[in-house]
Amino acid sequence: MWDLSTFHTQSMERINSAFFENGDGLAAVAARSQTVDEIVRGYIDQYVPEERQEGFAALAVGGYGRAQLFPFSDVDLLFLVRSEAEARERKDDIATLLTALWDANLRVSQSVRTPAECVRLAPDNSELHISMLDTRFLTGDRALYEDLASNRLPAFFAKERKTLLTSLVEMARQRHKTFNNTIYHLEPDIKEGPGGLRDLQLACWLSQLAHVTSDRIPGSEEFIPADFRDALAEGKRFLFAARCYLHYFSSRDNNRLAFDLQDSIADASAGASGQQRRSAADWMREYYRNVRVIDRLALRMMDEFGVQRNSLFAILRDRTSKLSNQDFSVAHGRVFFRYSQAAEQDPAILLRMFRFVARHGLPLALKTERLATAALDAFRGYVNSAPDGLWNEVADMLRQPHAYEAMTALHETGALFVLFPELEQIDCLVIRDFYHRYTVDEHSFQAIRRLKTLQDDEDALTKRFARLLAEVERPERLMLALLYHDVGKGGSGEEDHAVRSLHLLDHALERLRVPSRDAEPVRFLVESHLAMSNYITKRDISDPETIREFVDLVGTRERLRALTLMTYADTAAVNPKAMTAWRKELLWQLYLSTFNRLTANAEDRRIESDSAAPVLALGANDAERDGLRRFLKGFPLRYLRTQSPEQIKVHYEMRRELAEKSAIVHVERRDQLYDVAVVAWDRPFLFASLCGAMAGFGLNIERAEAFANEEGVILDTFSVAMSESRGGEMDETEMRSLARTLKRVVDGREDVRNVLSKRKKLFGPRGRMPIEPEVAFDNEASSRASIFHVIAEDRTGLLFDLTSAFSHHGYDIEVVLIETQGRKAIDVFYVVGPGGKLSEDECRELTDQLRGACRSKAA
Amino acid sequence: MKRIEAIIQPYKLDDVREALKGIGIDGMTIYDVRGHGRQKGHKEVYRGQEYEVDLLPKVKIEVVVADERVEETVKAVVDAARTGKIGDGKVFILPVDEAIRIRNADTGDGAL
Repeated sequence: MWDLSTFHTQSMERINSAFFENGDGLAAVAARSQTVDEIVRGYIDQYVPEERQEGFAALAVGGYGRAQLFPFSDVDLLFLVRSEAEARERKDDIATLLTALWDANLRVSQSVRTPAECVRLAPDNSELHISMLDTRFLTGDRALYEDLASNRLPAFFAKERKTLLTSLVEMARQRHKTFNNTIYHLEPDIKEGPGGLRDLQLACWLSQLAHVTSDRIPGSEEFIPADFRDALAEGKRFLFAARCYLHYFSSRDNNRLAFDLQDSIADASAGASGQQRRSAADWMREYYRNVRVIDRLALRMMDEFGVQRNSLFAILRDRTSKLSNQDFSVAHGRVFFRYSQAAEQDPAILLRMFRFVARHGLPLALKTERLATAALDAFRGYVNSAPDGLWNEVADMLRQPHAYEAMTALHETGALFVLFPELEQIDCLVIRDFYHRYTVDEHSFQAIRRLKTLQDDEDALTKRFARLLAEVERPERLMLALLYHDVGKGGSGEEDHAVRSLHLLDHALERLRVPSRDAEPVRFLVESHLAMSNYITKRDISDPETIREFVDLVGTRERLRALTLMTYADTAAVNPKAMTAWRKELLWQLYLSTFNRLTANAEDRRIESDSAAPVLALGANDAERDGLRRFLKGFPLRYLRTQSPEQIKVHYEMRRELAEKSAIVHVERRDQLYDVAVVAWDRPFLFASLCGAMAGFGLNIERAEAFANEEGVILDTFSVAMSESRGGEMDETEMRSLARTLKRVVDGREDVRNVLSKRKKLFGPRGRMPIEPEVAFDNEASSRASIFHVIAEDRTGLLFDLTSAFSHHGYDIEVVLIETQGRKAIDVFYVVGPGGKLSEDECRELTDQLRGACRSKAA
Repeated sequence: MKRIEAIIQPYKLDDVREALKGIGIDGMTIYDVRGHGRQKGHKEVYRGQEYEVDLLPKVKIEVVVADERVEETVKAVVDAARTGKIGDGKVFILPVDEAIRIRNADTGDGAL
């Protein structure tokens, strides 16, 4: 009697030895399939008499059907029988065969079906039908098989093509989702993960189903796009070998590339190919390169074949064609160049293309990717020779809602390392960590994605952080910091990775010509990106001393907001479950305590000589340094922390110019906004008059700050936007006109009420839910001033009405912090009366008046 | 055998682990938890609005020790976690019927 077990064991040992000699996974899986073929055929031919083989056939399906049996994979068999009655007759033969196969250490999955059953649609079991795309005859009644394979199956697949394509793609999307739609896992699943062997097969199945006719099923790789074939063949060779190693080292059907197995495989594969030994990190980089090709192919084909043409999705997708512009056309939801020579002739178009992706979230067409990659040399020349750096363009890309998608497009075309060469150090970098799930570069991109999708989260704790993000003035700074925060992990040495990241960031800031007012906040975020996590887990954040220390570290509310969001994103991108409610609560507690302390104290603390040292150093001589010192004396410490030394120098020059004049006004355009600075001698109603004049001029005040020094000089700074009803922009003439108007109002030559009355009263569009005003005072937080918090629906002249309420009582506004979020105005006023802080009764009376001003419709 | 459950301030975790290690206890289970005791949370003011913090983040440590080690273990935890302020936490001691090491089926104190 034939000893199946011994035959199988000896064959497996032979295949195993050959594989560890040559590392050829394709040959190994083919050899194992051949061995199993011999066992199944041999057994049936020996033990099932020929007359009982009529109307009965043994078929290989699934991976075995493709003759790709990995060392410990299941053997999928289909026993085809002519009728159900014959199935009952064959029951004993099949049972005996299965027992023999199990005894030979083969794990068999079997089914018994008639030809009619094979082509009866089972809506909940698409996998069964898909497995029949890879059906192979082993032994038995060939005519029965031929009828199925040549007639019934092609007709079935042609008829059910759309249903099966949709179902196949939907299953793949669900599978990808469980891996967070990224290939860059530190310990990836080589079979089921995105870009893994399942996706390789998915691409083949989709192409087969898409091209099947009622009389023929195409070959597995027959319709794979020609430009993918070489890369795909390489990817297949790599993954087949990797999975064979995984099976052999684990002695089971294991598909997870755990850290220890990465070491073993890197060693073994180098030995088999006669190459120099590679580190596991280098081998993993090769893994990601191969998997990336398969992932991209699978995604393209899913997008192409996954949805029926007349579905709502397809209609919506086709609407994106309206986004086409003079550079790009959008077809079937993908971005194309209008002219195929565009990238070579005008390399700047690539940056416009990534900004387009960042704005609309549309993926590039394959052809666009190819053209972009071919134009990388020209793009490099453009990037390296840009006279003013490219910060404005990069900033625009980073602040768009789909910055993550733009990063992916940059990565796929190879342009990422042209624009941000420092990131090459963390390309596909695996750093072994129990909690981290992604490679270092993907972790950084995921952090950006986490912030961009924050507002989609319904969780109440998360919504707090989403509101915080809406208040960030220049989110591109935060995004750039996230992109670079871990770039130092690519280096080695004793230094902390944050220090190395900062060093590399400095290269990028210089190359992109990032102005200091943007660069400094980014440097702070990268340098301090671990601080908040350390505080919440290592320090007692209920201790006022801890909060005082942290206040000193962050300095301003703007930095605190950005660092809180940076910490949120950095943690959330560690793995999908890392940002627990527990962590969110702790992070929020630290934010809250620090915010309150900053609000209470930072504006109270006045500038001292040592804190002003960097600014004083700007003075050319002793006289100028003395002048600077006098100018700064009395301003809150916050002024130093929110203004760059260069801006302070500009304000000081304005102060020198002021002398006997009543006011100096400086207006400057900055992106979509205008910066307005006013230096003047203090007088009652001054700030209110400025606010009123700007409202009368048609400007919306987005942010404002007001400070006074000990000389009686006030410095009021505003970020303003021209209202849409006035065209949304100011030209040079209008900017000069604004400066003249503000001066006249300060001089008293023009009554602010006249300016304001020229302006039509503007309210939010009718039909929207009104924003109920919230007015509260805090008489405890500050030792110097009473603090009033106002949240109200913004309208023309609101700030004028609010500040007038203080001035009517003869109170001074020491510090004002104004922010506008859409229709909502968020204002904080630090107010003192003739005797310092106001009494509780005075605060209450003022609160009522402020509430009334918020509800008032007359400006 | 007893199971010792300690609810402590998150920032005290390293200190407590070190203290347990110092008396030769390496095995423990740690959870991130939220809750409140007599402290009952507190109120914070954010931008002039009151904001209730009712479930406070804490860390829970579980250790199972032989009866004769209960006292020194509890002392190590309490000494390391104490600041003297409200919110330091609590320690609970519960009886354990049996312990089994899955790898080799050791039981009782030998399995700890």
